[in-house]
Amino acid sequence: MSPRLPLAVLFILAASSAATAQDKAGIAFFEKEIRPVLVKECYSCHSANSKEVKGGLLLDTREGIRQGGETGKAVVPSNLDDSLILEAIRHEGLEMPPEKQLPAETIAKFEQWIRMGAPDPRDEKSAPVRRTIDFEKAKDFWAFKPVSNPAAPEDKTGWAKSPVDQFIAAQLSEKELKPVADAKPETLVRRLYFDLIGLPPTPAQIDDFKQAAEKNRDKAVEELVDQLLSSSHFGERWGRHWLDVVRYGESTGMERNATFPFAWRYRDYVISAFNSDKPFNDFIREQIAGDLLESDSPEQKFERLVATGMLAMGPKSLNDNNKENFAMDVVDEQIDVSTRAFLGITASCARCHDHKFDPIPQKEYYGLAGIFRSTDTLFGTSGTGNRNSARILAWADGKAVPVAPAGDGGKKNNQSKKNVKKQLQVAEQKLARFEEQIKQNPKLADRLQKQIAATEKQVAGFKRQMKNSSDPAPATEQKNREFLMAVLDTSNPSDTQLRLRGEPDERGATIPRGFLTIGSTGHVPTIEKDGSGRLSLAEWIIQKDNPLTARVAVNRVWQHLFGRGIVATVDNFGANGDRPTHPELLDWLAADFVTNGWSIKQTIRTIVTSRVYSLGGEDNEVALEIDPGNALLWRANHRRLEVEAIRDAILQASGELDIEPEKASIVQTVGDGIVGRNLQADQFETNNRKRSVYLPIVRGNLPEMLNLFDFPEPSIISGSRDVTTVATQALYMMNSEFMMTKSESLAKRVLGEADMDDSARVALTYRLTVGRLPSQEETEMAVAFVEETTASLDEGQSKKENDNAKTKAWSGLAQALFGSAEFRYVE
Amino acid sequence: MTSSFSLPPSPFLSRRNILKSLSCGFGYAAFAAMAHEAAAKEQPLNPLAPKPAHFPGSAKRVIFFCMRGGPSHVDTFDYRPGLKTHEGKAPGSVGVGLNNQNGRKLMPSPWEFKKHGESGIEISDLYPHLSQHADELCLINGAWTDIPNHPQALVKLHTGNFQFVRPSMGAWALYGLGTENQDLPGFITMKPPARLGGTQNYGSAFLPAMFQGTALGVNGNVGIGNIENKTVSTPQQRKQIDLLQKMNKGLADRQPQNSEIDGIIESYELAFRMQAAVPRVMDISEETQQTQKAYGIGSGQSDDFGRMCLMARRFAESGVRFIELTHEGWDQHGGLKAKLESNCGQTDQPMAALIADLKERDMLKDTLLVWSGEFGRTPAVKKDDGRDHNATGFSMWMAGGGVKGGQRYGETDEFGIAAVKDKFHTHDFHATMLHLLGFDHKLLTYRYAGRDFRLTDVSGSVADKIIA
Repeated sequence: MSPRLPLAVLFILAASSAATAQDKAGIAFFEKEIRPVLVKECYSCHSANSKEVKGGLLLDTREGIRQGGETGKAVVPSNLDDSLILEAIRHEGLEMPPEKQLPAETIAKFEQWIRMGAPDPRDEKSAPVRRTIDFEKAKDFWAFKPVSNPAAPEDKTGWAKSPVDQFIAAQLSEKELKPVADAKPETLVRRLYFDLIGLPPTPAQIDDFKQAAEKNRDKAVEELVDQLLSSSHFGERWGRHWLDVVRYGESTGMERNATFPFAWRYRDYVISAFNSDKPFNDFIREQIAGDLLESDSPEQKFERLVATGMLAMGPKSLNDNNKENFAMDVVDEQIDVSTRAFLGITASCARCHDHKFDPIPQKEYYGLAGIFRSTDTLFGTSGTGNRNSARILAWADGKAVPVAPAGDGGKKNNQSKKNVKKQLQVAEQKLARFEEQIKQNPKLADRLQKQIAATEKQVAGFKRQMKNSSDPAPATEQKNREFLMAVLDTSNPSDTQLRLRGEPDERGATIPRGFLTIGSTGHVPTIEKDGSGRLSLAEWIIQKDNPLTARVAVNRVWQHLFGRGIVATVDNFGANGDRPTHPELLDWLAADFVTNGWSIKQTIRTIVTSRVYSLGGEDNEVALEIDPGNALLWRANHRRLEVEAIRDAILQASGELDIEPEKASIVQTVGDGIVGRNLQADQFETNNRKRSVYLPIVRGNLPEMLNLFDFPEPSIISGSRDVTTVATQALYMMNSEFMMTKSESLAKRVLGEADMDDSARVALTYRLTVGRLPSQEETEMAVAFVEETTASLDEGQSKKENDNAKTKAWSGLAQALFGSAEFRYVE
Repeated sequence: MTSSFSLPPSPFLSRRNILKSLSCGFGYAAFAAMAHEAAAKEQPLNPLAPKPAHFPGSAKRVIFFCMRGGPSHVDTFDYRPGLKTHEGKAPGSVGVGLNNQNGRKLMPSPWEFKKHGESGIEISDLYPHLSQHADELCLINGAWTDIPNHPQALVKLHTGNFQFVRPSMGAWALYGLGTENQDLPGFITMKPPARLGGTQNYGSAFLPAMFQGTALGVNGNVGIGNIENKTVSTPQQRKQIDLLQKMNKGLADRQPQNSEIDGIIESYELAFRMQAAVPRVMDISEETQQTQKAYGIGSGQSDDFGRMCLMARRFAESGVRFIELTHEGWDQHGGLKAKLESNCGQTDQPMAALIADLKERDMLKDTLLVWSGEFGRTPAVKKDDGRDHNATGFSMWMAGGGVKGGQRYGETDEFGIAAVKDKFHTHDFHATMLHLLGFDHKLLTYRYAGRDFRLTDVSGSVADKIIA
């Protein structure tokens, strides 16, 4: 028993003897000043009789008002700061009543009432209103139901070639729609090349396919598909799709835009994962927990560490001077990317309150948060004004060691062992002093509690640092080391507390680390004892009964082949997302995907060898009337190419494309620093003739063409891109240096064909750009343009002047074709 | 986002894309109506076409003076006589002991404040020109923001959120209202800082890229990128575009239902017109000597900002929706007297001239002018001639566009340390600005990641007393 008890008892006795009179006055005050306001202004949404109780908050009983709602306690007697009702009626953050603010006098009365101890005679039991999620009911929602493996419906018309077609045909015939004719071979070959490797077919490749297709179209398609799937350019195309989803970027963005010089390793990892058709479940596992997997070789270990860079490269607010805030923002970003990229659900909506639309309680968000809070995010960065620099992983001789980044921002982390030891001793002495003080005066225990906890944390931190800096040869001094962004488990993984309203410093109950109830069908792994739980999280995501993972993955594939996902909102399968146009087909594809060992290439092969994929793009009046948006896929969609494909196709046609992969990135060459401070935006400009996937993605500083043609904001997870057509794109096509020089190169290329006449050159220019021969009329039009332009520009008599004029005229034709609608669309 | 230029003045989305993005956000009805109309006329949709707000707003456009660095409010627009009475005392000793005031002493303003206009509002002697328009100004003395650091506060001012990348206020305005002149960008920002959020301060984040700001004067680029062709003459380029358009029309004939081709055709025509329109609007030599002189052009210290203000008027007149002008260098931890005087000297006459000019053209009534830094400066100081960052209270002003001039709205405490009455948070500013443009800030939303986002997130109240 505490020796303080008698004092406390005494106080209570003293207080209660004077209580009755005060109580009466207090209750009278409540009845006169408070209750009428509550009844008039609040009960419509916050009482047992409300149609719908908002925010889980009841204000019609003492119990309800003190217990509060989703955001916290409405009234804490005598505590103005913690009584949320005041914040709400003052319209500071919360705003209640929503439409108008109560008069200042009324607000003052509420303050006075709470100061009085919030006397409240309403003894009734509060109705149980806390919104609880009925998970059983929630699982009736289509996306949370187990993946079924439906049999493909029979197609009596004989149109279907594959199960995919059978599902399509069934829904078409329901609406009495007929698919249009198959695409012409030159249309199909262009579609396949762009879709699978992101480059247009050369004239020779077009001819090859046409010939093969004449003999046996199905066989020709199959062979071409196999060839393209095994091309190393496949990964450059499909890897980039994935980089959109995981918001790949080579700097932090935000208010202090520090470079990530080694982010490109993750880019290369992704490209190679798609090229080698790494099973998608392994791909997921490595990105979330690659550091925790047993590896067979140093190369594999390195690769898996690089994979976790996905979690490290999110945008970061480096100038934040609230460490806790910064840490929770990093965690939030990691939860966001992990749940949306792999599961298509927006769990980060539950940071501040239960998810408004989906069955994700705030509690479960903090179960995930504990996992990432137990994770050390090694993203590096340096530079002045960077308050949150982290270490980066140094790799040498098969070992990875976290070290300070190269720049000046990492000084704090780059301490000598001696220094750390000294700090550790000081902190330990401090702890000993506290213990001594408490021994002498136990009353101090409470008061010192916070300081003790803080010092204990320091001690743990220094010990960890000691461990890291005790590496025999500090990595920073080694020559043959490589740096990479990655994550590792912290040395003291632990659960974290729920944060009230998402405020980092307002801690609620400790939440055991865990997963979301809603994805947990079948086996639910347990959090590993001595680790963060990331490995279990990965296993939970990829366990075959998870209803979301495979569906989300195959839907992304479908989108890139048809221009729209079966679920159009590819990153959101929740209540606010779209419903699938072909639910059974989606399930069939998902089940097939898992059966085939999570092979992306096999899923692509299944889809592109179907008949629906090879449809033509022509119109049909009847179908347009019934299904104008082509949701049921009675024809091919006209799709605008992504900017990378447009740029790569221009480079290829001009003959300037350097097809070899980029080694590293210009961002590594520029190095550590902050864009706009010690690094200038133009330092990242390159005269790069490599494929566009290798262009530097410095956040807030994208290459101009990417920015103009709807490249997604790289700070944001975006599985599908906008398609806008604007005048600044036209200006780029008309006037930019890139377009002027590439048009000239193409002109010189066709003019170099000495044996050709102008008609043949026009035909070649068409084939190199839009992949088809021009019509007679088009040829005449182009020849006339070239002749007239040459004549009008040819001022002198010399051959040189004549050649110059010719080049300019042919450049004009090339530029017109590059700028044409046909060039930037696939049918 | 590139730094040199970006905002596309005439965008065409496919109907499907528009409806995909907007089906739940603001203006579903407006867009549905437009889509219907466009379909009837077989025209492509243009999300940048002018469109009605929620209700008729008093302001049609915004000119935002961004005073980068944090101007000292107690030396400019927040008259605090208490500083003189208690000169040299620690704020805590006289009853105000807020944020990190240890070791600070109250320092009165080195400048005099006088009453101006019929309203008699007090403005410091640093603004001899602007104070002549006192009756147009609504001084907002109770402004406050969250964090007294430049990067966060500047991004907060522009996007309402420094934790995540969010659309800037100009992008929201453009998204909501479209723009009146399709030959010009709808959102122009002059000399935005490359750091402290950089392009984020005029970016569109998850809004379509067409709503982002076009930056002028970044990295020495005066104009808009790709606006001229250095090798091909205009008549020759026209011939080339004619050829291109024949190709496009040929495709449109083959694919009659593909309205996106019409969008491409239109985009080239607009681009061609822009090439002529943009240099014309930016050419201030068309203005009379008298006008240029009024803006302080050619007179040394105010020449630069004078040009920016005059260009702002020309943009406003030509139908640009949101115009921002940044003036750097208001971070006076030291050298307050000299530097603040020169800052005000550089900006005072141009801003006053712009107000007069807009008034004369009867445009002040529907042009909202806003003056603000990312925060203010500490009334209590550690050094004799410098003030530090103060986020708990500072001043902005607004004029025109339906704002009630000749008043001081809101108050800081006796010394100007913290806002105490009619507090005006960044979210309140955004809510009020949107209200003046005709929007309920709670309903101007865009659906991203399954949620309807808005400029004011979950906060913000309209300050009714500001509105005429």
